[in-house]
Amino acid sequence: MLFPGKKLTAFLALLLVLVPFGAQAQNSELDDILSGFEEPAVSPAPENSGLDEVLSGFEEETAQGTATTPDASRLPDWLELSGGIGFSTSWTMGSSTPPAAAPNLDHHGLSRLRWSADLTADIALPAGWQARIGTKGFHDPVFALRGREDYPAQVLRRSESELELTESYLQGTLSPRLDIKSGRQIVVWGKSDNIRLTDVLNPLDNREPGMVDIRDLRLPVAMTKLDSYLGAWNLSGIVVHEPRFHKTPGFGSDFFAGTSPAPPEEIPATSWENQEYGLALNGHFQGWDLSLYGARIFDDMGHVAVTASGPRLVHNRITMLGAAANLALGNWLLKSEAAWFDGLEYSLPADSDRRLDLLLGAEYMGFPETVLSLEVANRHTFSFDPALEAAPVYGVEDDLQTVLRLSRDFRHDTVQLTLLLSIFGADGDGGSFERLTVRYELSDSLTATGGIILYQDGDRPLFRHSDQRDRLFAELRYSF
Amino acid sequence: MLRPKPRLTALAAALLFLSALFAAPRPAAAGLSAREIMEHVDARDDGDNVTLQTEMVLIDKNGHQRERQIRAFMKDKGRDTWRIQFFVSPADVKDTGFLTYDYYSGEKDDDQWLYLPELHKTKRIASADKSSAFMGSDFSYADMNRRVLDEWTYKLLKEDEVDGHRVWLIETVPVNKTVEERYGYTKSVVFVRQDIFFPVRAVHWVKEGDRIKYMEVKKLEQIDGIWVATETQMRTTKNRQTQHSTILRWHDIRFNQEIDDELFTVRRLEKGL
Repeated sequence: MLFPGKKLTAFLALLLVLVPFGAQAQNSELDDILSGFEEPAVSPAPENSGLDEVLSGFEEETAQGTATTPDASRLPDWLELSGGIGFSTSWTMGSSTPPAAAPNLDHHGLSRLRWSADLTADIALPAGWQARIGTKGFHDPVFALRGREDYPAQVLRRSESELELTESYLQGTLSPRLDIKSGRQIVVWGKSDNIRLTDVLNPLDNREPGMVDIRDLRLPVAMTKLDSYLGAWNLSGIVVHEPRFHKTPGFGSDFFAGTSPAPPEEIPATSWENQEYGLALNGHFQGWDLSLYGARIFDDMGHVAVTASGPRLVHNRITMLGAAANLALGNWLLKSEAAWFDGLEYSLPADSDRRLDLLLGAEYMGFPETVLSLEVANRHTFSFDPALEAAPVYGVEDDLQTVLRLSRDFRHDTVQLTLLLSIFGADGDGGSFERLTVRYELSDSLTATGGIILYQDGDRPLFRHSDQRDRLFAELRYSF
Repeated sequence: MLRPKPRLTALAAALLFLSALFAAPRPAAAGLSAREIMEHVDARDDGDNVTLQTEMVLIDKNGHQRERQIRAFMKDKGRDTWRIQFFVSPADVKDTGFLTYDYYSGEKDDDQWLYLPELHKTKRIASADKSSAFMGSDFSYADMNRRVLDEWTYKLLKEDEVDGHRVWLIETVPVNKTVEERYGYTKSVVFVRQDIFFPVRAVHWVKEGDRIKYMEVKKLEQIDGIWVATETQMRTTKNRQTQHSTILRWHDIRFNQEIDDELFTVRRLEKGL
């Protein structure tokens, strides 16, 4: 079967309906609804015989809108504050089997009532230098509401409350062709928007895969980045000072794949020996861009190894060599990426330490107010040991991932709709998820977001027993 | 939103055709053909090395307003134009930047890069289609850029008067379907002030949606000897009912500034203002 599961089929059908919809522009039914166009269809544009009537249309209205000037801030010129306050909620539609250690745990129903806030201070320094200090936090009373005693401690620790430093750095220009940026920051590599191949420097928040807002997906790490520029080229040298890894769901979360808690994680100390390194060469040219990457980093995923202290989740060193390019052709943007990994280790003994990841993608912007993108990636493990197919690795020699995304704006960018479909395996046997998001701009500073995410079971670790995680979600956010 | 705002094009220079900007007053020219009039419009000095602030007010049919603030810089490179824009407000798009190398020739696609702070990434934008809305406004990308003179045919309809000034009404029609697709208009009628060759009004017949758009210059000022439309309204109508309108206001316009080429780079796009 090509796409298993009724949910996935229904989602695809919706996608297929919406794509041609983009081509029909403003006169299609959905567009009419979302654009609030209530007038009946009219005859074609007037001919010259009605020209005078058309030209007289200037007399109908005068300009509206109040003449405004930029707000006079009470803050000093060198300081700028920005941030937001949000409230998000979700409803889990399925009900997964609780682990033996938490027999009363039922994920069905209200699964989030999260209050969040973030604040960023941008400080202008002499000689064009800039500093940023950012922080964010959240608290989710849903656990207290549903009974904290039913949740394993790891879930509460990872999902109930959080306060952390976000991007906080100092940046400036050392010479006309040399920039420096040092501190907690996010550096994104690659041309793909949906699949990570060469984007290896920052870990991710994977506590609720598919649910995390793009604002919060990448976790900043402390690093120093030196950028030199020559013509269309930029050479970027990076030293990562802070070993930081993916945030993963705690044992007891319905996103936790195993049946028993993961062993303690061994995080390398922040030391001179544990620095990570990256080098990127980027070029921007007429109609195309090219990037080459190299990195010597810790594996964000980690693997279980038996140490002197017992089983531990450890992060070994890996090497990544990569390249990414894109090419603009009319309304098409073609993308490609390649990443070679060496030094990979697994939670099972195997001699398969090298992998080649390849990606091809295309993005089309020719439909009005619409972006449609398709990306396909394959991760090929060399000398694949069949032993890796067993738990807890559930490895495959060729791991195919396909992502289809449709974004469309309605009502003068007031409403934004995004459909995302992510499939693992050639026939979806690895699992998949689909997400529909609608974002509505209530005012310049207030947005409401709502949607649904559906998961299908598969044999990849992330998707084992995942079809009970389906969620409805909503968020209200005030930004300033 | 993750979605690249593909239509963030260059506000500043936009004005080129829209307002067909800048020029010293000239006497009314009698006996000119429609094409010759438009050549005069096109030949205006557009004041190289420009910096400005833009305020965009989006007004829906219920009068509800949204506002955008943008800092823009532009520089001429022959007939091509380099532009970089930074969004100042509202908060959810603050620090978004847009860099464009706008090639005058319709044969060559513009180079465009968008920096999205939420993604921490510079993204190339591929869009030969200029008919989409600019930042959700009633202005399209086509409205915001200089039209290629040879891509249109011109017909002088009549003369009239706007705000006490004599104007020519010139009908412009795309020379072929490709141009029509790219601009999104089946035709336009442009009101050109006879004393300064300045288009003060235009009516655009939109290819899709049975809509007609009305562009009107509400404030025209002379800055450093150059005529500038400092307030322009674009109103979208259907069945003579206004569906949505946009007001563009330009503040702090400065010409002939010392703007280094380095400003128009991805490096600057990512560093911000």
